[in-house]
Amino acid sequence: MERFDRLRGAVPARPHDARAIAALAANPGCARRAVMDAAGVDKDATATHLGFPAPFGQSPFAITRGNAFEALVKDSGCAELLRLLRELLGLPIPLAAYTDLGDIGGNPSAHLRHAHTLKLIDRAARDDDEAGTLYDHPLLRLEIAGHTSYLEPDVVAFRLAGRFHIVEIKSFAIVDGQAEPDKVAAAARQAAVYVLALRTMLAELGHDPARVSHEVVLVCPENFANRPAGTLLDVRRELAVLRRQLSRMARVGAIVDGLPEELTFDLAPDADGVPTRPVPELREAVRTVGARYAPECLSTCDLCFFCRDEAAAGGSTELLGRQVRDALGGVATVSEALGLADGSLTPGEGQEEIARLLRLADRIYAEAG
Amino acid sequence: MSTLAALARLRAVRTGTAQRLATVRHCHLSERPMVFIPLRLAGEAAAPLAAMVGTDPGHPHLLVVPQPRDRDLRFAFAAELAEIVLPYVEGFLKETETVERRGAEPYERCADAPQLLVPGRSALAFTLLLGRSTRFRRAEGPHAVHPSVPILGRWLTFFAQRARHPGSALLLAATEALSLHWATGQSALEDANLASLIGWIDPPPGTTGADAAREAEDPLVWPPAGPATDPGFDAEVLAPAIRAYEEAPGERAAARVAEAVRTQLDPTWRLMWRAVDLLRGLPEGRGASARWETDRGSFTAFAEQLAEGGPPQPKHDGAVAAASRLARMERAQASYDAQRAYDDPLVMAAYRLTGEAFTGTVVASDPANAEGEGRGRKLRPLLTVRTGDPVRLATGTKLGTPDRRGQQAEVVEVDGELVTLKIVKGMGRGKVATPGAVPEVGDQVCYAALSDEYQPPASLPAPEETPWTHGGPPPEYVPSTEDDQEEWS
Amino acid sequence: MSERLDALEERINALRAEVRRAVRARDGALARSLRAELRGVERAWDQALADQEPPARETPSASEPDEAPRAGAAREPGALVPVREQVHQALTILGVPASAKMIVAVHGALRAGSLRGTQLASLRRDEERSFRSSPFARPYYLCAALTDRLSASRGLLTVSTWPLERRAIGPLSPRVDFLTTAIRVAEHILRLEEAGEPTPSGAERLLSRLAYNVPGVPVAPDAPPRPAMVVKAARAELEVHAGADADARARIADRARARLGDAERLFGGTILSLAREEAS
Repeated sequence: MERFDRLRGAVPARPHDARAIAALAANPGCARRAVMDAAGVDKDATATHLGFPAPFGQSPFAITRGNAFEALVKDSGCAELLRLLRELLGLPIPLAAYTDLGDIGGNPSAHLRHAHTLKLIDRAARDDDEAGTLYDHPLLRLEIAGHTSYLEPDVVAFRLAGRFHIVEIKSFAIVDGQAEPDKVAAAARQAAVYVLALRTMLAELGHDPARVSHEVVLVCPENFANRPAGTLLDVRRELAVLRRQLSRMARVGAIVDGLPEELTFDLAPDADGVPTRPVPELREAVRTVGARYAPECLSTCDLCFFCRDEAAAGGSTELLGRQVRDALGGVATVSEALGLADGSLTPGEGQEEIARLLRLADRIYAEAG
Repeated sequence: MSTLAALARLRAVRTGTAQRLATVRHCHLSERPMVFIPLRLAGEAAAPLAAMVGTDPGHPHLLVVPQPRDRDLRFAFAAELAEIVLPYVEGFLKETETVERRGAEPYERCADAPQLLVPGRSALAFTLLLGRSTRFRRAEGPHAVHPSVPILGRWLTFFAQRARHPGSALLLAATEALSLHWATGQSALEDANLASLIGWIDPPPGTTGADAAREAEDPLVWPPAGPATDPGFDAEVLAPAIRAYEEAPGERAAARVAEAVRTQLDPTWRLMWRAVDLLRGLPEGRGASARWETDRGSFTAFAEQLAEGGPPQPKHDGAVAAASRLARMERAQASYDAQRAYDDPLVMAAYRLTGEAFTGTVVASDPANAEGEGRGRKLRPLLTVRTGDPVRLATGTKLGTPDRRGQQAEVVEVDGELVTLKIVKGMGRGKVATPGAVPEVGDQVCYAALSDEYQPPASLPAPEETPWTHGGPPPEYVPSTEDDQEEWS
Repeated sequence: MSERLDALEERINALRAEVRRAVRARDGALARSLRAELRGVERAWDQALADQEPPARETPSASEPDEAPRAGAAREPGALVPVREQVHQALTILGVPASAKMIVAVHGALRAGSLRGTQLASLRRDEERSFRSSPFARPYYLCAALTDRLSASRGLLTVSTWPLERRAIGPLSPRVDFLTTAIRVAEHILRLEEAGEPTPSGAERLLSRLAYNVPGVPVAPDAPPRPAMVVKAARAELEVHAGADADARARIADRARARLGDAERLFGGTILSLAREEAS
């Protein structure tokens, strides 16, 4: 733990939200990301200070729209959601109880809210008669490499055939039964984080974690109207990937042990929070931990531009994407591949086949072009 | 990805500019295409924010929805767009040609067809959504829209659906068309950025493609080509302008929104025409012209359907329609791949690498070889070709050749560098081969196991005989008020 | 377009780029000052454009506050009544705790009012202040609904003259109150029909929206739901929940009477009283 604190420097660990945790599964082989996330380093600030600010941003219109749609689904004790659950899962009419777990007076701390969630979920799991149907604003918890992250799923629905279901509300539209696959996949990954957190909570309370369904209820606007529609998503695959990645994070200690004792990603912020760490020094520190850059990082990781630049400087074939790398049989650098192609480089062991193919491609390309 | 395409990307990295993947253009390019760049309001499924559209590089039309959440303004936008797109499309219906068919009535086909160009794949998807959100509207009733709106919807749907058809050029996404002809030194994912892709292909003087591509990623220099806008632009520029319009709707506030989106559209407009110029720089392949003919037929047929008052395209394909569409696509894909290879030695090169095609020199030729007796006697010339390519072809494999498109050959034997083949089709009825029909010793030849022959469509039941296992016959289309009442919010 | 406008546009574009650069560099202070400069130039652009145009077309100018009614337009009758009065009217129609959003919707649909959500934001706090400075001086107060922890429920408004049981929120209360809202809106439309008055289209839209989430209301795509059917269907579900809900509300109300003072009973228990409750 002290080791992580040193890596991060004198700032509080950056908490992970479900989106961030889900993104961990995107590139499980990247040691740089694993170490920085485990230590709770603010990667966005790091990238900005390095001169490679992340290319992400969310439009205020998208944020407004997302909030408005969620409010619509939840209005009047989740009247819309109740209708969907009755249609989709045959929820019986008498089960209409709505509990706002966030509504406990004043401006409660995360700790307090989590304790309240814990109490009510325990009560619901213990005794059917005491169980509510919809729990709004629950606050769950997940340990990521020794750090606690609080997670807030949209709604937890209970007593649908005796099981807890995570409800995920998203404002992207489903038009004629089709939605953008990327967005559905992201929603499923995120929902899997909540399923895992809720299962962990039940297990801690001594209940059967399997009482949390691996089917989550995805609520989206249908067609071009604002009317919510529901779909069941099976997130077993996402759960498996997530578990694997989290166990890998737990083993991040082994990577950290191999790092120099004095290594830190501290930005040394001054009183106004402006980083004072010399950039070349920070660059060296970040480079100490190896990255595995892939073009997919461009949509998931704050450090993507930095790592891409590094990969480009090293002439890595990673830069060109998995398809090219596969076609090159895993040859690591551009100059190596080109050397094999023009015959100026003798193939190493196991490279004979790809070298032959590249030389042939080189000849045919010259002939045909 | 073929090793060849991968190698081209490596060379692009080394040289700093994009490398050719084609020697000819594999898509038809109209003399007067219509460029269409739609923008959508972030977070909304199909709320158009603006579009830049037109056929004259010097005079784009800018259409703007000053408050994209306002349903009436959206339909006003659709009507305005219809006023530009429909006359363009309908203009091609005036001139037709008569097509004679063997064993069937001759029919009329439009002499040319419209062509829409959008920046990329996501603009294409948005075009489909725009079509979906407008084609079911009606011109009368409580939710009446301008009569041109549903017509526009059906045309946009037609274009966007036709774009899925391999080799069709009625609607082209610029990034896709360029990527078909050039390999950059970046990933396919990054190629989806039109500015960065063109940066690689045609960097400004004194700059490498790599540098131009990097610069193109700065949304302040090159705004995204849409339909998504830059979140920074949304927050800093667009949101205040839309708020001002909400507070005091009027021409001035609308002009401010228009002014804002123009800054985002102008650069892409110029890029689109640069893409057109780059593509025009390549001579059109033979297959591209043939495929355009099919496109013209498809365009004519749809226009007729529309004129006859047919219903709008359904929301879902019935089972039979889906199966026949799939079969049609597969055939189109195979013949598209073959045509490109026969049109273009660089495309053929990829098949040579995998052993499905080879080039070489004829070392022996027996043009008088024949099989059968008497009236059944047929010319079956034999050829032996020496090649350095790694041929992987089994005996009996059917082969075609770019130089003699009507002929078909068959592999007789592959022995190291020597391939013996027999010409089995396209030799005519004569007793001896016509001069030039059979390659002579010393000729350079190319043969490939690719066929772009016409294959009869799979036999599928008529829609009204759809088996119950596939949902039974689709319900007949009955326009429902639900369709036109559906909010567009 | 005049050269002046061209120059201003150029400046506007340059400033916008600078603003976004500053935002990307996380330099908030610079972004703000640039933004201020940008607004100034934009105003100058507006002015320059206005100077060019013949002044006949549009009258509202940038200097006019956006709250003010548009010149020439008649003031809506609702605007003459104070906000708390309008909210009270809407809550009286509904007779159950309601969110600001529902109050605005109901008032707009049934009273042709034009309340805005933002006008309701500080209402409860103002009422509480007024009550605490001179208790029971007004005939009614707009106050809170009470959760089972006796705290003020987030976002719900009630009227002080209602019995505590009605102001308490048990687990089934949101559903019960939603169904009651549907019934009240339908009944209001029925009364209008009986009186031979035309139903405002906003009222029909509101009823459709509510009825959509009431099971058993026949749906016809062309017509709004029939108010009598909505009443019947909503009552049927209400029947199912009524007993359990009344019990839960009564228990909360009893606890509130036993533990809370006058002001807390109206505006919700404080953290301190909640802690006492928790400990007990």
